[in-house]
Amino acid sequence: MSSGTAKTTMRSAAWRISLWATLAFACGTMVVFVFLHRFVSQDIQRRSDAWLSGEVEVLGDVAERTPKNALYGRVVGEVAELASREVPNRLRSEPGQNDSVFFLQTAADGSLALWVGDGNGAAYLDAIRHSAPVANSPADLRVRAIAIPFRIASASVGDGSRIYLGLSERDELRLLRNLRFRFILLWAAIVVFGAALVFYTTRRMLGHVRGITEAASRIGESDLSSRVPTSRRNDEIAQLASTLNTMLDRIENSVYQLHTITDSLAHDLRSPLTAVRAKLEMALTGGPKADEAESLVTAIEELDRVTDFLNKSLDVAEAKADALRLHRVAIDLDQLLRAMVDLYEPSMSERGLRIQLRSANRVEIWADPGLLHRMIANLFDNELKHLPPSSTIAIALRAEHGTAMLLLEDDGPGFAPEIAAHIFERRVKGPKSNGHGLGLAFVEAVVRAHGGSIEAANRLEGGARLLLALPLFAGPRDEPSTSMALAAHSRPSADALVSASQP
Amino acid sequence: MQYHQPMRLLLVEDEIEIQGFLKRSLTEAGYQVDVAGDAKAGQRLATENQHDIFIIDLGLPDEDGITLILRLRQLGVDAPVLILSARRAVDDRVRGLEQGGDDYLTKPFAMAELLARLRNLLRRKASAPAEATRLRVLDLELDLLRREASRSGETLTLTPQEFVLLEYLCRNAGRVVTRSMILDQVWGMRIQPDTNVVDVHIYRLRGKVDAEGRRPLIRTLRGVGYVLRDR
Repeated sequence: MSSGTAKTTMRSAAWRISLWATLAFACGTMVVFVFLHRFVSQDIQRRSDAWLSGEVEVLGDVAERTPKNALYGRVVGEVAELASREVPNRLRSEPGQNDSVFFLQTAADGSLALWVGDGNGAAYLDAIRHSAPVANSPADLRVRAIAIPFRIASASVGDGSRIYLGLSERDELRLLRNLRFRFILLWAAIVVFGAALVFYTTRRMLGHVRGITEAASRIGESDLSSRVPTSRRNDEIAQLASTLNTMLDRIENSVYQLHTITDSLAHDLRSPLTAVRAKLEMALTGGPKADEAESLVTAIEELDRVTDFLNKSLDVAEAKADALRLHRVAIDLDQLLRAMVDLYEPSMSERGLRIQLRSANRVEIWADPGLLHRMIANLFDNELKHLPPSSTIAIALRAEHGTAMLLLEDDGPGFAPEIAAHIFERRVKGPKSNGHGLGLAFVEAVVRAHGGSIEAANRLEGGARLLLALPLFAGPRDEPSTSMALAAHSRPSADALVSASQP
Repeated sequence: MQYHQPMRLLLVEDEIEIQGFLKRSLTEAGYQVDVAGDAKAGQRLATENQHDIFIIDLGLPDEDGITLILRLRQLGVDAPVLILSARRAVDDRVRGLEQGGDDYLTKPFAMAELLARLRNLLRRKASAPAEATRLRVLDLELDLLRREASRSGETLTLTPQEFVLLEYLCRNAGRVVTRSMILDQVWGMRIQPDTNVVDVHIYRLRGKVDAEGRRPLIRTLRGVGYVLRDR
């Protein structure tokens, strides 16, 4: 896995979710264990205390009854020895360690009277003397040079002497250490396993979500007929998918309705327009008188303008509803602009306008050629119609960050301030304009349909400024119309054009 | 039309006015025209007779024009089709047919354009003759390899773009070409500018080709288009 993939993983929601879930799980189990540990250690202590109390009582009894003769030490020592064998959980002492149990009796003056255990017991007696006065209940005792503390219980014998029975906490500690060690091992294994499981399941689940997102965005930019993938389970994600699909059904339906309306409107208007145009043409070829011919020609021109207006209005209407039908191919914007400048340059210089194109290389975008051509023609027509003589139009094309940036600037009067804010709306036109007010609305519609954006502003130094951003072509995509539109585009005359514009 | 025998054409169009106009204009242009008002009659005529070319409207009363074309193809009728459409968007199936060698034209159209497209389709069907390297129209001569034009032996100084435009006019000498045909064929754009861009190009070209004292070759037919005189 490359560091890039690792970074993406660490930024993913699945990673965050599993991290937090693991943390919560680990802390929770740790708290439970701490309580369990305390409970166990207290219980062990309670048991050994009970044993100690019982034994010391027995020993006290024995010590009291046994006559204080030479045999006393042996009898009591024997009993203590026996008692030590009954220690609960007793482990065999390892060499070099003190025994787990000792018995000590002090005389009335506090000196050592009897000792059963390792060594001579002086250190133990010393520890007992220094420890707080021993009550009847068992207490902890730390003996110098012995790491593990003892638990001791004591009882006083009738003659003023005292007996002490000590039990090392060694076994208890070892038991708890074992417990801790095993728990930590098990805990680590469970946490790692749990984290992996949570990560895997959330990633799978979020993978479905990502699949839906990808499918939905694909649908948004190409066709409305496909649907996001659904799963058989009826969980939240499946519900999300089916909700999206229902929404898409509705959108597709309204777009279909819109298409039906625009198509039938276009059809119902075009058929009579065709008939009218045919009649006018017939009249014109029939050799009319000069003044009649003039009105026939004007009528035909008007009719063509109406047709163009009809097409543009319907395109803008569809585009405003994000329902333009696109047949995309890869188009070199640089070459297209050069051809357009070639086409418009004579008309511009006729009107005293200058046009400059700054563009370096191929800038390929994925666009509908018909719409794109008409869009750029609209921009140029707009300049041609609204600029006063001796203005300059500067066009700059460049590609940056996956976007084709087309900048159009002129040094004319700029947009009228009263319309500047609504420049891309239908029917909005400057006070002196005699157009339909569709030109820039159409341009904006086409740009938007191609996933781009457009900004219009007046330049500080005077004149208008339009900035179009269109996504660059990112490799061929699967669309059925591509090859056909390409075929339509490679007509012999188009080739002639290419060779002509690049001598 | 310099054909040995007239081209036989089948027109399938339901609107009487357009049908009448088309029949008259096509007959004038030298075609032998059969007419059908719906898909059924169209199919009958197409299978009974041998046609060189079809004009089929998409919005027929009984059936979609595309369905008719596809069925004719299945029946082995392979003459090229010029599709007439009053629809807005071009259907993918139309694009498919276009790729298969057919063409389409949106209503309303100029008759000159319809005739030009028919000629194109017929030329595409006939195996293209070896491409000429020189074009001659009256005293105008174009060298297609060296991209040079001359009139009465006098070389004309043309820009590459002007040469392509003149070449297109020469190839269609004697026939009307509309502005949208010029835009489509010379610039490769199907656009309808609301400005006089094409006129200015023609005006400039005319200034060079029809210099003072010469007989004007490029004629403007107002409301229709342009024609390069060949007589």
